[in-house]
Amino acid sequence: MPRVRRLTIATVVLAALLCGASPARAGDESLRQLIDSEVKAGWAKKSIAPAPKSADSEFLRRVYLDLVGTIPTHDETVAFLADKEPKKREQLIDKLLADPRFARQQANVWDLVLFGRNPGNIDATRKRDGFKVWLTKQFAEGVGYDKLVRELLQGEQAGSELFQVQFRNQPEEATIAISRIFLGTQLGCAKCHDHPYDKWTQRDFYGMAGFFVRIVIEEATAGNVKTYTVAEKASGEVLFSGAAKDQKPGKKGDPVKPRFLGGNDLDEPPTPKDAKEPTPKAGVKLPKPPFSRKQKLADWVTATENPFFAKAVANRVWAQFMGRGIVHPVDDFQAENKPSHPELLNALAERLTANKFDLKWLIREIVNSEAYQLAGTGSVTDTLPKHFERARVRPLTAEEIVLTLRTATSYESTGKSDDQSMSPNEYFMRAFGEPMNGMGDFQGSLSEHLFWNNAEQIRVFARRKKGNLTDQLLAATDPWEKRVERLYLTVLNRPAKPTEVAKFVEFIKSDAKPDGRVEDAVWVLLTSSEFRFNH
Amino acid sequence: MNPFCRTGDHLSRRAFLKGAAVSGGGLVLPNWGGLAHAKTAAEIASKAKKRCILLWMNGGASQIDTFDMKPGRPTGGPFRPIQSKVTGLQVCEYLPKVAAVADKLAVIRSMQTHSPDHPDGIYHMHTCYKMSERTPHPELGAVIAKYNGDLGSDLPTFVRMGSCGNAGAGYLGPAHEPFSLGRDGKLGSFSTPYLADDAEKKRADLFRFVESEFAVDHKAEPFASHRTAKERAWRLLRAKAVFDISKEWPTAKERYGDSDFGRGCLMARKLVEAGVPFVEVGQENYDSHADNFVCHKANMQLLDPAYSGLLTDLSERGLLKDTLVIWMGEVGRTPGINNRAGRDHFIRAWTTVLAGGGIVGGQVYGATDADGKDVKENPVSEGDLFATIYKALGINHRAKHLTGVRPVWLTPEGSQPVKELLG
Repeated sequence: MPRVRRLTIATVVLAALLCGASPARAGDESLRQLIDSEVKAGWAKKSIAPAPKSADSEFLRRVYLDLVGTIPTHDETVAFLADKEPKKREQLIDKLLADPRFARQQANVWDLVLFGRNPGNIDATRKRDGFKVWLTKQFAEGVGYDKLVRELLQGEQAGSELFQVQFRNQPEEATIAISRIFLGTQLGCAKCHDHPYDKWTQRDFYGMAGFFVRIVIEEATAGNVKTYTVAEKASGEVLFSGAAKDQKPGKKGDPVKPRFLGGNDLDEPPTPKDAKEPTPKAGVKLPKPPFSRKQKLADWVTATENPFFAKAVANRVWAQFMGRGIVHPVDDFQAENKPSHPELLNALAERLTANKFDLKWLIREIVNSEAYQLAGTGSVTDTLPKHFERARVRPLTAEEIVLTLRTATSYESTGKSDDQSMSPNEYFMRAFGEPMNGMGDFQGSLSEHLFWNNAEQIRVFARRKKGNLTDQLLAATDPWEKRVERLYLTVLNRPAKPTEVAKFVEFIKSDAKPDGRVEDAVWVLLTSSEFRFNH
Repeated sequence: MNPFCRTGDHLSRRAFLKGAAVSGGGLVLPNWGGLAHAKTAAEIASKAKKRCILLWMNGGASQIDTFDMKPGRPTGGPFRPIQSKVTGLQVCEYLPKVAAVADKLAVIRSMQTHSPDHPDGIYHMHTCYKMSERTPHPELGAVIAKYNGDLGSDLPTFVRMGSCGNAGAGYLGPAHEPFSLGRDGKLGSFSTPYLADDAEKKRADLFRFVESEFAVDHKAEPFASHRTAKERAWRLLRAKAVFDISKEWPTAKERYGDSDFGRGCLMARKLVEAGVPFVEVGQENYDSHADNFVCHKANMQLLDPAYSGLLTDLSERGLLKDTLVIWMGEVGRTPGINNRAGRDHFIRAWTTVLAGGGIVGGQVYGATDADGKDVKENPVSEGDLFATIYKALGINHRAKHLTGVRPVWLTPEGSQPVKELLG
């Protein structure tokens, strides 16, 4: 059965390519249908009962956060919940994918993938507004992922160079990062010894490092601002001297020819005997080398034939929305780590390749599937359900928390939106930046909760200020029950249960002056688990 | 008379009113509610895991001017050694009180380490791994907090004052991150609630209601982690009184010396007494590239009463056998004296000191040569030191964790606990 299906897909893809039409809706099965049939087949094999379809409010909040990085407003919530159109979810997805905030959210997600919270050469890479502007532009213009990665590896477009500045003078670090992020392969173990269980040896590692050893990061200072250029020398080799435990001071190694991972040695013209490296001069940029290893690597990584590239990104984008990669961890493709749904992964990779690596197209398909739209309720307690039988749970990032607090409390309406930055400042980053342990498990911390409880920077969202949510609730004249319902629709994007309404009204009325109580009620919802996570 | 308790176990009335329980051994117990289930207070105290205090000599103290004197040698400097309580162990003349408690000390004179500067040295001596590895190793305090701490207690499990480590909780995760106190015991940022007590309580109750409603249908682990961390923060805010040493200080300063560092040491004693498994107290500043002797004489005059006072206090309260006290900096200092009467960084042969926590006191482990330029016998690496510390505290020094897909161990391969120190 699977082989027939794959053949069908391949035929469809081939036919579509020949016709020049996007294969998304053509042929037997759209990708979203294929996703659902594969996931359902997985459940059947394990006799798993999945969660039901998500409620509208659950889906609404989840898809807003995943696509635009913030929650819907009260009015958007009410309109969606009241809409009787059977295709309203699909239409909402189209609307959000066309929203300019989608590009910003994608840029935030991928910035975290490319740099993490503690990038190398942090003095240069900590503040990377120029990079983020470049990255957002790529997503806004719908640049194909293969072109985007190519630009990152070339580092020639203004803003893109900062990615490689992380690895300045550290070709080994570049090797590890680029293999992990773009090829889904953990090469790091093979730096110091042959990989203990995977097939990679040190020669494979240093073969890849050969592509980065000639890279030079040039620095120019104009006033206070440093700018960087990714340049490349015409010579320079990686010297390999054996396992790390056998090293002794003064032990020189032998040069290693660059080799594509799992592939052939680089076909390189020999350096002419009388070639000399130009002397670096201040203010003068290094000329382009006659043969660029950097370009060859960029070509190879992003080629459609590259055996790792498409699967790695398809897996990563799947994990972005479904919680867990089909290969998990998302950047650990190896023989011992089998994909949970191998045919699905192949289909995602093939179709993405056929669609010119258009990530927006892939996201549209994933988010329209029934699998993505499952409820977050259910008996399975896993954060990231293994068989995608329930929606995954993820904490909001620091970036999302800042934006969501603003949206939930109508912060813009107070007219004071400039003094609180729209991207997380140092305090927000410290409290919310890195909430996971080494294995990716979420951990609540003292510093996060002391911040929630006592920081003025949080209180400013809940405290009454003309125009904000607390002010609107206090200034309204309808009964408290109605106002509490509005509170829930605004902050949690769902109708309140009768028990919740009763409890909140009792709380607010327990004081003759309701100002403090309404502020506290808003605060309680802002710091709740329901708000803190996307589920 | 209740057959299960003795007079000494009865709670002092004042302590009761303060909401703390004091055992016969003087141990202030967290979680007052827990007492109701135990037969005696002493039983709870004995179940508590071992604790640790790190006295961090920021900048790197000179071993030749403190615990590894070289009288008469060209590298010896102007200070003279004095005989300590222990035959064969001499210390600097400016550490007379420490000399009097030398029977508690295990002086390791043969430290041989690998990170010579401050950022890398601080990292290496807090995590026993090199900073250049770019792996998020946890500090000593985070490891002890995780293995010997109780996340259900009122107080943080990893407390520090003054100069300290730069690695944080690493791959162990934010649940074990350090909690900073100001030198005067003032709590770090965001430790003061802006609501009055009763409004806080009402707000907290509403929060618990909202959470219990949500938990009916949502059972994934992160939600529980979020809730318990919030309760932990609230408990800390209610237990803030423990950090107030102003009543005890006027008498205690006779013993600890009237200095910031002395106050820090008293605070450390109070906190381990209350069950905090790890407290770090930093002393400024030993980085004497110039005027080494002026600097060290001044620092030792603060170190002497505080260090000895802490050990004596812990011992008198019966806490020393369960509390490991570590004295160390990030590097040692050169035997050679430079042209500014200073000593520079030196990692080939230097000294750390362990006391309490089951460490065999009154001994010297390892030796340096006549001028202190190299280790003569029994070199101790960062990994060996940490293995010894973890073993003393009942922690497996080869415990394995994962950071991403990479396995990491608490100490590097080949690290061995020093048997002579552990007895």
